[in-house]
Amino acid sequence: MNEELRLSSIETRGVQGKKRYAMVIDTRRCIGCMACQVACKAEYDTPLGVNRTWVPYKVVGTYPNVKKHFLPRLCNHCDDPPCVRACPVDATYKVDDGGFVLQRYERCIGCRACMASCPYNARFMLPSHRTYTKINNVVDKCTFCFHRVTQGLVPACVQTCIGRSRVFGDLNDPNSEVSYLVTRNATQVLRPEQGTKPQVFYIGADRNQTEYGRDLYFRPDVMEEDRAAWSRNLKI
Amino acid sequence: MGDYVVFHDVAWHGIYAVYFFVIGISAALFFLSALSWFREEYRPLRTPAFYGSLVLLAVAGLMLIGDLSQPARFLNVLNPAYWHMTSPLVWGTILLVAFGVVSIWYFTTLGKGDSAGKLPAMIGALLAIAIPVYTGFDLAVHQHRPVWNSSLVPVLFLGLSLISGAAVATFLARGDPRLVAALRQIMLWGSGAVAIMVISLVITTGYGGSAEELTYAFMTSGTMGMTFIGLGLLAGTLLPLLVLAVPMGRQQTGLMAAAVLILIGGISLRYSILMGPQIVQTFFS
Repeated sequence: MNEELRLSSIETRGVQGKKRYAMVIDTRRCIGCMACQVACKAEYDTPLGVNRTWVPYKVVGTYPNVKKHFLPRLCNHCDDPPCVRACPVDATYKVDDGGFVLQRYERCIGCRACMASCPYNARFMLPSHRTYTKINNVVDKCTFCFHRVTQGLVPACVQTCIGRSRVFGDLNDPNSEVSYLVTRNATQVLRPEQGTKPQVFYIGADRNQTEYGRDLYFRPDVMEEDRAAWSRNLKI
Repeated sequence: MGDYVVFHDVAWHGIYAVYFFVIGISAALFFLSALSWFREEYRPLRTPAFYGSLVLLAVAGLMLIGDLSQPARFLNVLNPAYWHMTSPLVWGTILLVAFGVVSIWYFTTLGKGDSAGKLPAMIGALLAIAIPVYTGFDLAVHQHRPVWNSSLVPVLFLGLSLISGAAVATFLARGDPRLVAALRQIMLWGSGAVAIMVISLVITTGYGGSAEELTYAFMTSGTMGMTFIGLGLLAGTLLPLLVLAVPMGRQQTGLMAAAVLILIGGISLRYSILMGPQIVQTFFS
């Protein structure tokens, strides 16, 4: 049996006749080149200081037993997204056929309730100063490249990933590559206990990065200086 | 070393705690003014408490609008076609608008006879109870936030609203002995209830999972610990409780001191409950 347990009517994973796009990230294949982050920035003109996708890494262990772990991050396009139910004006919504969690920029009032509700820090406020793209002061996030996927392309980060660490496809299609990977590999999702049903699946994710708030215990001074500088310069 | 992370901003900044504080006082002042139609000792508060409530309601509304990053789009949330009823912000919008309308209705009855104001007073009092409860739900519905995601939070915010309002009303009472005695009772029992709720929240958070444990450590140490435990719980809740419980609390000086401490506690508790879990969340890769 491989039936999905659906607790909410909004969930579409395993529902016949509907697409449920998902991403599998094989961290064993990620080399940390950040090309995905750059491709995303280029695709959307994402301003400095905020990111739709990002690749944090952590060096763990003691010499000679050390390893650098990467954990590419993006919106999890949850099957039961808390941001959708938190938005007071329906500016955030889930596309029924495909499962994309998207944002209506023209409707967003900037109350940041969706940011408060996201367990993954996937949402951010677009700053007021942008050079080319005049979408400012509203919440933004990864769209799973809705505009590309609906044209038959894969998301920009997947297209550019040189290690084929990122794989994208329809999880409701048993013949898709993502279905194969999720079925044949031990996968993890981030913060599964929150009941959000994330649709970004990791192979080989390291607990140093997936566990909640671990960074709060280990705060290198140099990073705190960076954090303070970032806070100073983030003008919303 | 050599780690790389991106930094995240908190969703709601400190100004939101000030909003909780202001709207809580506004609601409680209306409640006390409305009480004057049913309890004679509150009669001197009827007009000043209502005007105070009205001014603070206007201030709170402007703060809410000003805090939006698209202030002009506050009209969107007033548009029923856009309402998404699963969001407590919509409940808040409806309550605040209704509270404003009832306040104006109540205002028109202030100069009339006793029976005229009873109905708007009753409806307004119910809304005044619902408003701090909704502010609690603003936080409580976020399932992944330690401290916030507790059924205690809406009740705690109701208690904080009542004692903060009573503390402000103490300064409007002009030493009226019966009124002052009644306000002292509210602050005494309200502070006791708030203390029990805050202590319960601290203990259950400390005994929680890794997220709760981390939040507990953050909120009980350093600057946040000073705000939450030092100013909020000790100086702002337990100390006024002590002052009000001893004979000094029956004197004007003691009552005023307790009122000031309660107001300091009210803003400190709201601030730390709002910010603590958010700051911890920003450290999730």
